[in-house]
Amino acid sequence: MLVTIDDQTIEVAPETTVLEAIHALGGDVPTLCYDPRQAPFGACRACLVGAEGARGPIPACTTPCRDGMTIDTRDVTARRVVTAVVELVLSELPQPPGAHTELAAVARELGIGDGLRWPGASHERRHDERHPYLALQHELCISCGRCVRACDEVQGAFALTATGRGFSANVTAGLDAGFRDSSCVSCGACADTCPTDAITEITLLNIARTTPGERT
Amino acid sequence: MSDRFDSTVTTTCGYCGVGCRLEAHVRDGRIASISPALDGPANAGHTCLKGRFAHQFSRSRERLTAPLIRESGGFRIATWEEAVHRISTELNRIKHDHGPDAIAGLASSRATNEDCYAMSRLMRAAIGTNNLDNCSRVCHSPTSFALRKAFGLSGATGSFADIDAADAAIIIGANPSHGHPVVGARIKQATLRGLQLVTIDPRRIELADYGVLHLSPRPGTNAAVMLGLGHVVARDGLVDEEFIERRTEGYDEAEALMALYTPEHVEEITGVPGRDIEAAAHIYGEAGDASILWGLGVTEHKYGSEVVRLICNLAMMSGKVGRPGSALLPLRGQNNVQGSSDMGALPDTYTAYRPVSDELVARSFEERWGVPLSREKGYTIPQMFHAAVDGRLKAMYIFGEDVAQTDPNTTHVVAALESLEFLVCQDIFETETTKYADVILPASAFLEKSGTFTNAERRMQLVAPAIEPPGGAKTDLEIIMTISRALGHEMGYATSAAVMDEIAALTPTFAGVSHERIGRRGLQWPVAPDGTDSPILYADEFELPRGKGQFAALPYMAPGDAADEEFPLVLVTGRRLEHYNAGTMTRRTGNLELLDRDWLEIHPDDAARLWITDGQTVSVRSRVGRIETEARVTERIEPGHVFTAFHFPEVRTNLLIGSSADVNTSCPEYKVVAVDVRPVAEQPAFTPALAQPALS
Repeated sequence: MLVTIDDQTIEVAPETTVLEAIHALGGDVPTLCYDPRQAPFGACRACLVGAEGARGPIPACTTPCRDGMTIDTRDVTARRVVTAVVELVLSELPQPPGAHTELAAVARELGIGDGLRWPGASHERRHDERHPYLALQHELCISCGRCVRACDEVQGAFALTATGRGFSANVTAGLDAGFRDSSCVSCGACADTCPTDAITEITLLNIARTTPGERT
Repeated sequence: MSDRFDSTVTTTCGYCGVGCRLEAHVRDGRIASISPALDGPANAGHTCLKGRFAHQFSRSRERLTAPLIRESGGFRIATWEEAVHRISTELNRIKHDHGPDAIAGLASSRATNEDCYAMSRLMRAAIGTNNLDNCSRVCHSPTSFALRKAFGLSGATGSFADIDAADAAIIIGANPSHGHPVVGARIKQATLRGLQLVTIDPRRIELADYGVLHLSPRPGTNAAVMLGLGHVVARDGLVDEEFIERRTEGYDEAEALMALYTPEHVEEITGVPGRDIEAAAHIYGEAGDASILWGLGVTEHKYGSEVVRLICNLAMMSGKVGRPGSALLPLRGQNNVQGSSDMGALPDTYTAYRPVSDELVARSFEERWGVPLSREKGYTIPQMFHAAVDGRLKAMYIFGEDVAQTDPNTTHVVAALESLEFLVCQDIFETETTKYADVILPASAFLEKSGTFTNAERRMQLVAPAIEPPGGAKTDLEIIMTISRALGHEMGYATSAAVMDEIAALTPTFAGVSHERIGRRGLQWPVAPDGTDSPILYADEFELPRGKGQFAALPYMAPGDAADEEFPLVLVTGRRLEHYNAGTMTRRTGNLELLDRDWLEIHPDDAARLWITDGQTVSVRSRVGRIETEARVTERIEPGHVFTAFHFPEVRTNLLIGSSADVNTSCPEYKVVAVDVRPVAEQPAFTPALAQPALS
């Protein structure tokens, strides 16, 4: 089938998602909950794009291509919504994300600076560094679900669980027992996929703590 | 991006045979972090706790950073010049007095193909002997032997991708979740998508919980299980007659033998219920595509090589070989155990398993290396130790292998090392083995050198240096070339890529291989001159005369050791997720915090009978040795069997292993050892009924 993205047309196989088609053309849109190693999830709404004939912006990661579809990755409404969504995500963090993180990169791409429009309640710092390699920084969790899915879909350890709702949504290892006392096999797939360093490596945390311009 | 790292280098993991491609991130000359390469063909953006985290060993304070020379009962730091001079003087003296065959070498299955090839040249050309082996002798030599006999080539018939394409799979004698974690995870995901998995192992391995059927045969009875599966496949009309007729030879004899192995008979031998044998045969036989994976639980037996032949039988009679989803995948143990053998670090073969007696092949190497080469087979590892004890072998050059901790019959190994007049060890740490060395050379870890590793899919992948060898340590290729030069044989390779160019020029199987072509995706041998590689072997014919696969009519034979009144339990040894073989690397990382000891798994029935409680220190005694370790009571192991790993020198599990070995390849029988287990501290007055808490 044929889809047109930003005036370029490409032939794609059935079940190709809009995001995959965008990538196939060498393009990109911001994403937070997307990881090519995992099944599409559609939680973060950072990948919204305009689709001709649609009532509003659509998520590129979970929408399958339809023959003759026309996509606008620069759609003004989609951009406005995405910027607001990411700004709201950032507003819940007690500090800006480390410069190397995907969240920081998305914020830069959307032109979101330090001055947020909707300052409000932010998460309280809560760290767990009991594991020799893996650290949890709960206040940085944006509930994208990537760590939980990496644990389930890539490693199959089922050690991580999404907890809480709304503002309290977070992730937990082994029902708060920590990585070591869960079914965790220390593969690190969660830290590898985390877009905010809510789960990261102890060694990287130590580097960030001593590097100017990087914050944890 | 960020300035957290000074550089990032894509390389290939130096732990197991999966061959994960890794991104090594460097800061201040040290590895800061490792992440999986998203385009790694074997790992697809995933890796395990060894590949990702266990890299701190590379900057351990215990790394060897200068040559050491034995002097007045200890070792002293020496210069490279002194060490090289000492080695060349001693080796020349021994060669002069006793001939080149009084010297033997071991290549390292953790080193690169280029290192192993250079080691082969050092032994064959610079010293003049075929006394060269590598540690595949003690792991998958039976696989190599049997695959060559049955199909023609010594390697997996397919790729890990076949796991995703299969409808069913059998895993026998392997625990991939621990030994090959990334493949283990891949299998687990496949089962969650509907792969019908049958696990066969004396232990109820983790993947058994995701499979449809688990068989627990008595250790050493795999042959009977495979014969029983073949029996049912033949009896119930699940054979692929067209495949047998067109592509194989010897089926009738094999079938006649399998006819004797009824499920009832197999149950008597193995303890596996006959109905489970029937169910497993139907799952495999009825699947559209099915693969068989195996590990050292198949090979490290007296008849290990014969069981691999029987695995090949089952695949051929079912027509399940040579196409996507239907593969035979031996899970090779170390990162480059496939490659070290492919490169000819063996006593009887040059590159690609071509015999040293083959006149044409030998001449091609003579021409290239400019020296006459021996046509006589050299010693295998066990033969080296026998020859050392007998006084025929005077010197050894051991490169990257801790034989005193990992080889069986430790007493004999130590006696052999002590008998030598001269021992060179080339390693990254002092080990049990280096204790007996005369010269120790400080070598490089995989993160510090360039070359290639070949994974369990026959995939040659690039290894690139992320950091420098520490202190005065040097890369293995440089060390081997230096020693060779001192012995009067200049190898003259400018780079590891030049070594590979020579390998390609002299070896049809690797004709189209170059570092440039290997690139980021790797090449699965055989590689044609134009660079076309081979993800799947035997699609049309086998690599044997007439192109026909060979059935083998081999009966079940009892293992070399068996439980008796004095030694009533059977010990199986294996590995745990957190550590890697002798633990030389992983014990020097945070993995030690995750797992800091070995233990003995014992069934609750046996524990109760022997008055052993969970966590108690027990004595484990075999016919040849005794160790002490902690008991853990678990139902994952069958009654009558016990299990432990061998990662810790404090325990030295291999003291228990005798000299029984595979009949064809002398691979030791690590997997069947009769033992007596009892609590170390017996209470002077005790009865279980009154003990609190009660033993249940």
